[in-house]
Amino acid sequence: MIADEATLARLAALAQRGDRQAYAAMLAACRSWLLRYYRRKVCAEQIDDLVQETLLSVHRKLASYDPSRPVIPWLAAIARYRFVDHLRAAYRNAADSVQEDDIAAADDKEQAVVARLSLDRLFEALPQAQCRAIELVKLEGLSISEASASTGQSESLVKVNIHRGLKRLAALIERA
Amino acid sequence: MPENIDIRGDAFLDSLVADLKPVAPLRQGMGMAFASLALALGATLVVAVLGLRRDLAAGHPDPFVLTAAGVFLVLALASAWGAIDMARPAVGIRRDGWGWTAAMAAVVPGSALALILTDLVTGQAIDFDRGGIVCLALGIGIGLLTGGALILWLRRGAPSSPTRAGLLIGVAAGAAGIFAVSLWCPHDNLLHIGIWHGATVVFAGLLGRIGLPRLLRW
Repeated sequence: MIADEATLARLAALAQRGDRQAYAAMLAACRSWLLRYYRRKVCAEQIDDLVQETLLSVHRKLASYDPSRPVIPWLAAIARYRFVDHLRAAYRNAADSVQEDDIAAADDKEQAVVARLSLDRLFEALPQAQCRAIELVKLEGLSISEASASTGQSESLVKVNIHRGLKRLAALIERA
Repeated sequence: MPENIDIRGDAFLDSLVADLKPVAPLRQGMGMAFASLALALGATLVVAVLGLRRDLAAGHPDPFVLTAAGVFLVLALASAWGAIDMARPAVGIRRDGWGWTAAMAAVVPGSALALILTDLVTGQAIDFDRGGIVCLALGIGIGLLTGGALILWLRRGAPSSPTRAGLLIGVAAGAAGIFAVSLWCPHDNLLHIGIWHGATVVFAGLLGRIGLPRLLRW
């Protein structure tokens, strides 16, 4: 069960004032939200690390939450930032990225919010060639040469597309 | 990483909770007050050390100098506003308002460049003041105060694009610095103000864009 926006906003405001009980509830709700959020793009073995990195960023940057704004777009911006950072940082080995079957059911309203803030939406803003290169190499764990063979792009073009795509993703983090 | 934080499972959440300290939310108004204070300090420093332009001191400011200085001041405030707002990230927020102010400010150097181009086409001698590099260097130096204040503020926040934040800080710092220098600078012609004062903003923006992201990543 994920707390609604109003509850999360109240918890976040209390957490900023040092209320540990509210903070514990807020972090638990954020963790549930993040697990669902990352599940579409990140393989199971990496989700826990990414969620923890994101929660650590939430902890460090708690002052950056504006109590006059909703919590979820703030959390999603931090999640996207950590995700792009994660893509930059490491090449993945496993090729089991998208696990659509595991996606938990959510009510319509919540789905609409998550869809608007989703990582898929971030990728939609990329040119096809850049999107494909990042998906193959960074998400599915293919080598540059394998991605080159799969896409028909030269190896250097795959590298250029990854570099440009990540740069563009970083610039698009706050775009809905 | 905060001390004593366990990064596994529920113990991880417990350690974050145990580490919680009250924090003041980053208010836009406070950030602007902080940046404005740095800008005012820079202007005061210029006037105290170098003195005020004669026309300003006499209470009869040159209309063009006054207009150009005003444009740079507005650009500094608009860019600072944009940079400070970046401390509070949120998906769905558009932050391109400062770009219109920058486009407006670009009219000053743009007009100077058009004048140079016209002189080149008509074969006239260009009155290009090379001494303007003093204004550029002073503008960058004084702008460090505003730039420093913005860096400190954004390091407390979570800018989602350190590159864009660096650019905005650079533009704000350069514009604030050259506004302060305008209070002293004895020149009042379009070529000097357009080229050298405009170049200060462009140069500071480039410096911010290239050099600041590493300080702003989190």
